[in-house]
Amino acid sequence: MSRFSDKAVRERNESAWLVPTGQQRTNWELRRQMRRYDHDDEVDLVIVGCGAGGATLAQRMARAGFSVVALDAGPWWDPDADWVSDEAGSNKLYWTEPRVISGDDPVAMGSNNSGRGVGGSMVHFAGYVPRLHPSDFETMTRDGVGADWPIGYQDLKPYYEQIEEELPAAGEHWPWGDPHGYPHNAHPLGPNGEIFRRGATKLGLRAKVGPVAIPNGRFGHRNHCIYRGFCLQGCKVNAKASPLITHIPDALAHGAEIRPGCMVYEVVVSAGRAKGVRYFHEGAGYFQRARMVAVAGYSIETPRLLLLSASSAFRDGLCNDYGQVGRYVMVQGAPQTAGRFSEEIRMYKAPPPEVTCEEFYETDLSKDYKRGFAIQNVSPLPVTYSEHVTAQGHWGEVMREYMRDYVHWAVLGSLCELLPQQRNGVTLADDKDAHGLAVANFSHSECANDKLLQKAAQSVMEDILRAAGAEEVITVKRYAHLVGGCRMAASPEQGVVDADLRTFAVPNLFVTDGSVLPTQGSANPALTIMALAARCADYLRSTSRSGLLAP
Amino acid sequence: MSRRLPYPEGTTPGGKGRFEGYEVLGQRRYWDEQTRKLVMDRLENTPELKFFGLAEAETAGALLDVILGQHEEPRVPVLAMVDARLHAGQTDGWRHEAMPEDAVAWRESLLFLDDDAEQSFGRRFHACSLEERGQVVQGVQDAEGAWYSLPAKHVWSLWSRYACSAFYSHPLAWNEIGFGGPAYPRGYKVLRPGWREPWEVAEQRAGDPVPWATRVERAKRSHAVRTGTEADNR
Ligand SMILES: Cc1cc2nc3c(=O)[nH]c(=O)nc-3n(C[C@H](O)[C@H](O)[C@H](O)COP(=O)(O)OP(=O)(O)OC[C@H]3O[C@@H](n4cnc5c(N)ncnc54)[C@H](O)[C@@H]3O)c2cc1C
Ligand code: SF4
Repeated sequence: MSRFSDKAVRERNESAWLVPTGQQRTNWELRRQMRRYDHDDEVDLVIVGCGAGGATLAQRMARAGFSVVALDAGPWWDPDADWVSDEAGSNKLYWTEPRVISGDDPVAMGSNNSGRGVGGSMVHFAGYVPRLHPSDFETMTRDGVGADWPIGYQDLKPYYEQIEEELPAAGEHWPWGDPHGYPHNAHPLGPNGEIFRRGATKLGLRAKVGPVAIPNGRFGHRNHCIYRGFCLQGCKVNAKASPLITHIPDALAHGAEIRPGCMVYEVVVSAGRAKGVRYFHEGAGYFQRARMVAVAGYSIETPRLLLLSASSAFRDGLCNDYGQVGRYVMVQGAPQTAGRFSEEIRMYKAPPPEVTCEEFYETDLSKDYKRGFAIQNVSPLPVTYSEHVTAQGHWGEVMREYMRDYVHWAVLGSLCELLPQQRNGVTLADDKDAHGLAVANFSHSECANDKLLQKAAQSVMEDILRAAGAEEVITVKRYAHLVGGCRMAASPEQGVVDADLRTFAVPNLFVTDGSVLPTQGSANPALTIMALAARCADYLRSTSRSGLLAP
Repeated sequence: MSRRLPYPEGTTPGGKGRFEGYEVLGQRRYWDEQTRKLVMDRLENTPELKFFGLAEAETAGALLDVILGQHEEPRVPVLAMVDARLHAGQTDGWRHEAMPEDAVAWRESLLFLDDDAEQSFGRRFHACSLEERGQVVQGVQDAEGAWYSLPAKHVWSLWSRYACSAFYSHPLAWNEIGFGGPAYPRGYKVLRPGWREPWEVAEQRAGDPVPWATRVERAKRSHAVRTGTEADNR
């Protein structure tokens, strides 16, 4: 059931009406008729990366009449032909180009946090789209940890509302942070979500269904979710949102060009202004001229690209005069606890995102740690679930026995707000990729607060599962999501971009992806990334009209 | 599509499983073409070895079977699946700073495994008895810090990741664990704990109504015997 006017959304973003009805998921006509620019055309805006941030910006700017070319290193997916209902067969969705990980607590990449292709990581994201809380924008002032943002919650709120309508988000009324409703009603619960709610109710904890980026009811030509549980393998149904269906179609209809298979390796800057980008396509090198450049390659590749773009004017990397590029990269501590139930759960049914509890989100003065965590249910498929079992040290016959019991287990996950640290981040490694470009080395180590948070989250998850009737619980330690690496700040000594996502160093160069977040809260980041990109687009549209962007 | 399966319906690896007669592929006519092709290919076409040399293949095959407790036929052809992945350079998208690339780490760790087996039992790993192999592998899992030139815990994670992702992507293993398998475009309709789709099969083998806790205890005991760690596990 829809509680808002489709008409208003459609006037802002028509994507859901541009995906086809019937047996196909891709509007081939729209792709065929795509406008194409010459390399010599100085387009208004070239965007590196067609994920959450890049695609949102492309759609907004194209609609405002700007000439836009958006490049992505990966393919332009056709859900019908390219995606499968199979874990191992979905490896191509992830960024599996070589990367090095290091530090005391290294973070696994690939399927865990990095997408590659038009739609970006949201192609295989789980689909949770909560907002940050107002407190997230000033953790330094309130709690003496993390950092303050150069903008506040109210600056982002209108964009949260816009994007929630465009995805659209489905969920119950949200009592936490800034209380708000969702455009679509909550979905029915699957078995794993049911267990979560049962346990939370027993403990007197509030848990709410949603918010997920899966329409519940009619929304344009998008199909209804069939509760097949393969959200992390790409939604073949066109039910779960990703920019491939929520923003790219409208961008195309307004004259944007999408160029897949284009690996950008340098942002070219001369006389203090960005001139365009160099990229490889099928082995050959090209240069696209542009009046403005936006980098949206996410928290590992965006810093890597800026570091690779070092020049005589920027010896340590583009925009890196104050050593801020690649710093303060964050992941959320995401331990997952599985509980064993005597009844069959079969958690592989229904979308993995269902229920959320944000009762532990903010700093609790009675605790010995700052900030907090959220709890959500996750429903790993067999290959991923086997990591839970092997993480207990089980192998051989014992591992098989646990796996044979798969249908009896329900899994909760938490998102812990690990704090931003200068030492956590991206540098260039000695290794080279297939193009001969230095690969990223991502170093990550936890601080004491981080460890306490994750322990606390684990014990809450164990309590919920036991309250729901679990006879045994097992926990795997892991991380989820990436943000930071080119954070926004009030001054160039503290960050890479300003409140409008414009780099301090180069006035016509922007960063519009997850790397600009100064802190991460305990919310999944995609909605915030899209909202920030939409806000940046408003800024660009208004300033371009008043001529501010002229050299 | 109406092709017959290369094994009797309901077959599981080593004949183990708790979902008597459940055949995940019984639903394949309701799957999309791309997924069906992929899964049937995994089942019907075991790739020839291209990455591992002869001796490496002996060691790797024995290692993967030990990690997965695959001691009886029919087996999931994990060795061939891991070999194909390594040959194609299909990594998980990262390597630890202290580890070489996956392909190199695999080759090196197999040599070290043979060295360990030679030192303890005077034979190469694959020539050891089941119990001896179990002990060698347990030694690597228990090692703190470096194991030869590699960090032991990263080696362990490399082996178990490759082994499990191959094994649990195979339909024989899905039969064993009662997983519903691919579900597009059919989807799922029955979403309540304790309920099943009409075609799903209830857990519990008629002849083996042993409670979970007892089953795990039993598996742990037999594992302890196999790895010579009996005392710690009682
Ligand atoms: C398994 C998984 C589950 C997740 N679940 C959730 C969830 O439930 N909720 C949530 O909010 N978030 C979730 N996320 C995270 C979310 O998807 C990301 O935070 C978000 O998509 C990041 O947006 P972005 O624009 O910064 O980058 P991305 O969406 O990753 O887009 C970056 C794009 O840039 C391209 N690119 C990179 N470098 C270059 C280059 N040099 N040249 C050309 N192209 C380049 C990449 O190919 C990619 O397509 C999940 C992620 C994963 C992997
Ligand atoms: S569960 Fe729903 S949203 Fe997720 S992949 Fe399946 S159809 Fe798409």
